[in-house]
Order: sequence, then C-alpha cells, then structure tokens
Amino acid sequence: MNKPLSVCLCIAFVILLSGCGKREISDLALVMAVGLDKGKQEGTVRVTAQIARPADARGQTGAPSGQTGEPIYSISAEGRTIFEAIRNLARFSSRRIFWAHNFVIVINEDYARDGIMDVIDFFSRNHELRMRTWVAVTPHAAHELVSTQTGLEVIPGQSVDRLFRYNEIVAEAPRTDMRQLLAAYLSRTSHPILARLTLKGRGTSNKKPQEHGSIDQVELSGTGIFRKDKLIGTLDSKESQALLYFTERVESAVVPIPCPDDKKNEASLELRYQRFTVEPTYQNGKIYFDVRLKTYVDMVESGCRSRLSQAELMQLMEEPLEKVLKERLEKVVKAAQRTYKVDFLELGKYFENKYPKEWKKVRDRWEEEFPRAVVRVHVETEINNPVLLEERVNQRGENK
Amino acid sequence: MKNLEALLQSEFTIDYEDNVALMEEVLGKSCDIVKREVIIHEKVDIPCCFFFTDGLADDKQIDKAIRDLQYHVTHLDGTVLGSYDLIRNVQTHLLSDASISQVDCCEAAVEAILSGDTVIIADGFEKVLILSSRGWKTRSVEEPMTESVIRGPREGFTESIRTNTALVRRRIRDPLLHFRAMKIGKRSKTDVNVAFIDGIVKPGLVDEVFQRLERIKIDAILDSGYIEELIEDVPLSPFVTIQSTERPDKVAAALLEGRAAIFVDNSPFVLIVPTYFWQYIQASDDYYSRYWVGTFFRMIRYIAFLLSLTAPSVYVMLLSFHQEMVPTPLALTIASGREVVPFPVLMEALIMEITFELMREAGLRMPRPIGSAMSIVGSLVIGQAAVQAGLVSPFMVIVISITAISSFAIPNYAASFSIRMLRFPLMIASGTLGLLGFAAVFMLLVIHAMSVRSFGEPYFSPATPFRPSDQKDMVFRMPWWMMDKRPHMAKGDMYRQTENQRPGPDHDQGGHESDE
Repeated sequence: MNKPLSVCLCIAFVILLSGCGKREISDLALVMAVGLDKGKQEGTVRVTAQIARPADARGQTGAPSGQTGEPIYSISAEGRTIFEAIRNLARFSSRRIFWAHNFVIVINEDYARDGIMDVIDFFSRNHELRMRTWVAVTPHAAHELVSTQTGLEVIPGQSVDRLFRYNEIVAEAPRTDMRQLLAAYLSRTSHPILARLTLKGRGTSNKKPQEHGSIDQVELSGTGIFRKDKLIGTLDSKESQALLYFTERVESAVVPIPCPDDKKNEASLELRYQRFTVEPTYQNGKIYFDVRLKTYVDMVESGCRSRLSQAELMQLMEEPLEKVLKERLEKVVKAAQRTYKVDFLELGKYFENKYPKEWKKVRDRWEEEFPRAVVRVHVETEINNPVLLEERVNQRGENK
Repeated sequence: MKNLEALLQSEFTIDYEDNVALMEEVLGKSCDIVKREVIIHEKVDIPCCFFFTDGLADDKQIDKAIRDLQYHVTHLDGTVLGSYDLIRNVQTHLLSDASISQVDCCEAAVEAILSGDTVIIADGFEKVLILSSRGWKTRSVEEPMTESVIRGPREGFTESIRTNTALVRRRIRDPLLHFRAMKIGKRSKTDVNVAFIDGIVKPGLVDEVFQRLERIKIDAILDSGYIEELIEDVPLSPFVTIQSTERPDKVAAALLEGRAAIFVDNSPFVLIVPTYFWQYIQASDDYYSRYWVGTFFRMIRYIAFLLSLTAPSVYVMLLSFHQEMVPTPLALTIASGREVVPFPVLMEALIMEITFELMREAGLRMPRPIGSAMSIVGSLVIGQAAVQAGLVSPFMVIVISITAISSFAIPNYAASFSIRMLRFPLMIASGTLGLLGFAAVFMLLVIHAMSVRSFGEPYFSPATPFRPSDQKDMVFRMPWWMMDKRPHMAKGDMYRQTENQRPGPDHDQGGHESDE
C-alpha cells in the first residue's frame, strides 16, 4: 500500500473508532455527595449517591425543566466492597455515574469505628475522584444526611462544600479533605481527624412558621478522632476550636466573657489576630512542649452596665479571657494525651522539626512517649480595640 | 498565429502606407482601436496617422497634439528640412509638453497603443512616435474596505498602479526608495512594480523577489492574489506567508522596516514580503494611538486570535471527554442546557460553525440592500430561536458567537480566513480524541508553522528564533521614543531615530540634536 493512502486510513480509523464508549456531559450523572453506611448484611457497605438533576438544578436556560422540582436524585446500593456497591448503583441510574464533581464524602460513625481503610484506599486509588473532596463523619445515617435538602444552594452537596469553605468564621471543625486524610493516615505519628456533620432541626418551613425547627439542616461542628483508621471518639465544638490552633490557622473566634463588675451581663470578644507557637524541648529524655498563644482581641459587643471606662473594662477582661482560652487548650491537650492517647494535635511534627536526630530515636515509641510529654500552655491576650465606639453607649453608667 | 508573431517582430519602414497597413493588420478590426488620419504642413502635405485605444487614451491630449502639429509644423520650412527632420523637430520642439519617444519595432508600438498611448505614424519617417496619452477612468482614492482604522490615514490603494506608487512615494520622499518595473503575463502584460528602500532593505531580498517574479509564465494576472500564490514559500501550507494590504501607510512602514512591496496593476492589494506571522495581529492603529493603548488592543487581538482558533475545540473537548475539568456549577449549567439537544457536542459545534460560515459568506455575496434581512434571519439561526427549538444548547451559541467575534477582530482578512479553516481539524480532533487529539493537532500546526520561512525569514520570528531587540514591537508596542533601531532583518542604516528622545525637561538635548 502506498504511503499517503495508509496515512489517510490511519487518520480515518483514529477518528472514526475513537468515539466508541465516550460519554458526553449530558450522559453523565454528576455525583454531588456520597454517603457510606453499614449494609444490612454483615460485612457489606451501603453507598448513597446524591446526584444532581441538571434540568431542575438550573432553570431558565432554555431547556424545558424536568418539572419534578427536585434538584437532586439520591440512590443507594449495597455491596461487599465499595466498588461493588458503586457498580450496583448503575442498576438504578440511567446515566453513567460520574464522581469527579463530588463535593463531600460522608461516613457513618458506626462504619468508621470498624475502620475506614477501604474508604481511604478506594477514594485515593480511583482516577475519577478528586483529592480535594471534603471528608466528614456523621452520627446519623449517611444516606439520610446525603439526601437532606440543606442550605441556600440548590444542590445540598454544594451547600456542605460552602460550609467547609467558609468555615473560618465559626472555626469549630477541621477542614478535612481526602488529601489530608490520606496524609494523616500514612503519617507515622499523627492520626487522622475528620470533621463532623450532624443533622439539626434548625430550618423552619415558610408555610408552617409555627413549627419552628421542623426541617433538618446539616451542621458542620465537632471532630471525629481516629486511631489509625478506626474512629475512637469525638470532640465537641469548643474542643475542636482549640484543636484548630494546632492543625490549621485559626482566623478568628468569638468568646463571650462576663463583665468584670457586672456578672449578669457579658461582653463578646473577637480574636482578630493570633500568633500560635509550639516550642518543644528535650531534656534528660523528657519531652516538654511550650504552647504559646498570643492574641489581639476586639471588643465587638459590650452589654456591660458598668461605671468603668472602656479601656479599664477591656483591661480587666484580659485575665478571664486568658483563663478561658488556656482551659480550652488544656482540655484538648488532655483529650489527646489522657482520653484518646493519640497525637492528633501533630505535636510530633513540631518535635521532629526541632530535634530531627532525637526524633529518630523516639518516633517508633511515640505512642508511649506522647502521653508522657509535658505540655505547658501559655496564653497572652491584648484587648485593645473597641472597634467603632470610643465611648460606652450607656454614658450614665447605671449599675442596675 | 505564427503570422502575427512575425508581424510583431517586423520593423517599420520608410514607407508610410506599409506602416499603416502593418498596424492595421496587427490590431485587426477591434472596434475600440481608433485610427485618425490627418495631414500636417500645408505646403509639404505630410500625411500622419494616429492610432490609440478608445477609453484608455486621453482624448484631450490627442486633440491638443493634433492641433499643435497642424498649426506649428506649418511654421517650419518644410521644403528645406524634408519630412524626416520635420518630425524630429516636432519631437524636440513642438510637442515638448507631452512625453514622446520613438520606436522602430512593431511590437513596442502595439503594446503602447494597448497601454493607452498614442502611436503617430508620419510619412517619410522610418520610426513611429509614441505620444504618452494614458488617461482612463479610475476609482478615486477611498477608505480601504478591509482595513479600517480609528486613527490614521483614510487613504487606500486603488486599481491604478501609478496612483498606488504615488501614495507610497508621498509618504517616503527619499531618492533611495526605488520602484523597479516589470511586466508579467503573456496576454495581460500587467505592470508589476517592486518597491524597496536601498540601504535598508534586507540584503538579497530584491534579487530573490525578481527571481521569483521572473519565473512566472502565465497568460494573465488579474489580481495580486495570482502573484501571491505563484511566489509563496510554502504553497501547501494553510498559513499565509505574504501579507497583502490596502493601506499605503502599512506599505511605507514595511519598506522602512527593510521589507519589499510588490505592486500589481489593477489590484488594490499590495503584497509585502517577507512576512512574520505576528504581523497579522498588528494593526496600523497600534502605531498611531498612544503606546499603551496600542499595546492593550494588541493584546486583545492576541486573545482574539487564540479564542478564534481554539474556543470551540476546547469546549468540545471538555464536554465530551474531560468533564472533570469543568467547574462544577458550570458543568451543571451546561448539562442542563444540553438536556434536550439531540446531537453530540462535536456535531452541534460543527453545525453551528457551518451555519455561521454560511451566514458570513451569504452576507458577503449578497447585494447590500438586502443586508438587514440577512442579519435578522441570521440572529434567528444563531441565537435564542435555535436554542428554544432544542437544536443547540445556549452555551454553544455563546461559544460560537465569541469565536465569530474574535475572528473578526483579526485585522488581516486573509489570516483570519486561514485561522477559520484551521478551526475545523482542531475541532474534529478534539471531538474524537479529546485533549490528546487537540494537543496533537495543535502541536502539528505549531511545528509546521515553525518550519515555515517567508522569503528567508523564519515565520514565527521574532518569537522563535528569539530576537530580544525585536520584542519592542511584538506583544507590546513600545513608545516611539524607545524604538530606535529598525527590526533585525533590515540592514545598513540600522537606526531610525536619534536616541534619548523621550519628551521631558531633562531630555531637551536629545530632541534638538535631530534638528541640526
């Protein structure tokens, strides 16, 4: 065969045959959230996928609406392994299930107590899944959480995504994504932590306003603590906030403090800027950690009926604030060292950075060393900004 | 025919009757060839015969010449001088206001007649006189249709080569600006002029241009497009390696950069060689507006170039293979728009592209008064109506529209055509092989374009090979007071201006030096 002809044929084959098996965007079922529960039978897993129904999720694009009014379509299937369950999902789905747009993986806590090694493996091995997917645990059934219509976004998965994204305002749960989970799981010293999603009856129906809180909403608050891949306990929102100082940067937090001379009322203090350092010391085979927190605080709200000037008020509140913060930090350290005995605070990393040689000696028995380490917490606060009000609102200084 | 060849080669004789008969035989019975016989000198009675082409020759000039001959020749003493000297005197003394020359070859005389000149055959004179009397109706100088500017001269080339060269000469009054003439076309005998500035032009370029022009053996040249195709470097390439322009200022600028220009009679498009690819993205406005405005619009045009080449193929590629690369909210929007579309994305894109090309072509060919009808119908086909009919997705309409707008933002029409054509292979490749196909075809294009040369200059220069000093006028358009040097390709007189001309109180000296 002559050369030009064969080249032409090759090109023709490539073009004509390559289209086989390709799926276009409208042939895909875009998964927005996925939930993992224990299956009905022992040893099985139940995978629930929240799939966006584009025609309803987006209106007025010229395309006729699906008219179901339901922007999502949730289906679940069981299987002996996660992959089998996912394959079984295809029995119900008219379109190919496509995972790349998944926002969040929700794992039921019962399931997590038995170990999430399979989850970590599957979701990091599969090429269609992204490492930037948020991962969270929930005390509720994951399928229930995944099928719940929540938030202002049309797609619930997107609402949860935004909860994670704009988490720094509340800062009560770690922002844990697949990459961090995998890194913490593979790390020799630290153990994974996962954010906690719960269902709370906080939404109110517009049609029945008297039934306050009749609609469940997803709340992001708290932390699940793991030893290796098994869930061993949880932290509440305040402890989680303290935990965030260790694991990521805390942008701000609000702490209400009782007024110095008026215990009935409280003032809100917003931590605006904070410097958090952990300094390890290694002395005579003993490990010390000096945890230092220095914060600059705004007084964002003052309900104090006080005779004191604002400057005095702020100064007097520094000490109780320091106490509160110190208690919180010590509480989470205690939880790590005493209650769970796992280093989810990543203190080992601080130690390794300063004492790389010594670290090699202790790293294999870090499990035992960590609870024995002495952690000293020092908190220093400076309340210096009354924001916009230079003077108190209650100028007359009534006491009662 | 052989007979004609022989006749053309024959020379004129002393015999008046023979000469007239020869001309008549050669010119045949064409109705536009006019023969006027007059008798001059009342004493000697010299019969004269004028041959000229009706419409090409200026009647007034011929009338004047005849009048001059009849009145003034009489004053010469015919009996003493004899008719031979009489005619010589006519040439030197009487018709001195019109350009006149003598030829003795029939071929030259015929060519002169067909070019609009007048041939005068006089009794007793073995040569013929050629009176320059060209003067025909031409289109006046108008604003160029294809390359309009906001700021800058509004003159455009016309179909007359003399007007065109004059338009350039008016911009460069330099004795070193040369126009070299030649004729191409066995039957058309089209005038072709090559312009260049001696001492600036790239060495060897003029010889190369002439060598390529002389190789052309063709019956007729009807437009510079013929020449362009016959002398270009890569005839099979989709890329245009010779720039054609309607703007005299562009030609003048090119000459000052060391390029050469090829003027072709009867064509308002002048060819500029050598050409860099980037020239198609540069507009004359860039140089006349302030430099940062010029730079900004130039960048917009680079974006337009990329968009018009790749926008539909990237869209097709993302939607049919790489859905994970689309941001989630956008993916949902697109998916909802595509819910009812019955075609695959590639098909949809091809349908829309072809519809658009149809619209463009129809709009171009259509008589102008129907233009508004076209735009109304066109907006139905590419617009909301097509979406509501469920034929295409709204997003595809946007993509195609952006592509269309971008392709119109490319200043050179020929280049935007070739980009339009390249869009289709790119689209098919990305619709069948995804990113792999897109990358492969794109790489092929780039590799091919890098291998192309235009009259010895690399096509992608000054980007590759990278020429640092030429970057002043590529992506950016540096201020004029910074562009001291001519581009790399120019030779000889490298500096186009005195240094340090940046205006400002400290730089007064630099400004004065150039005045000296």
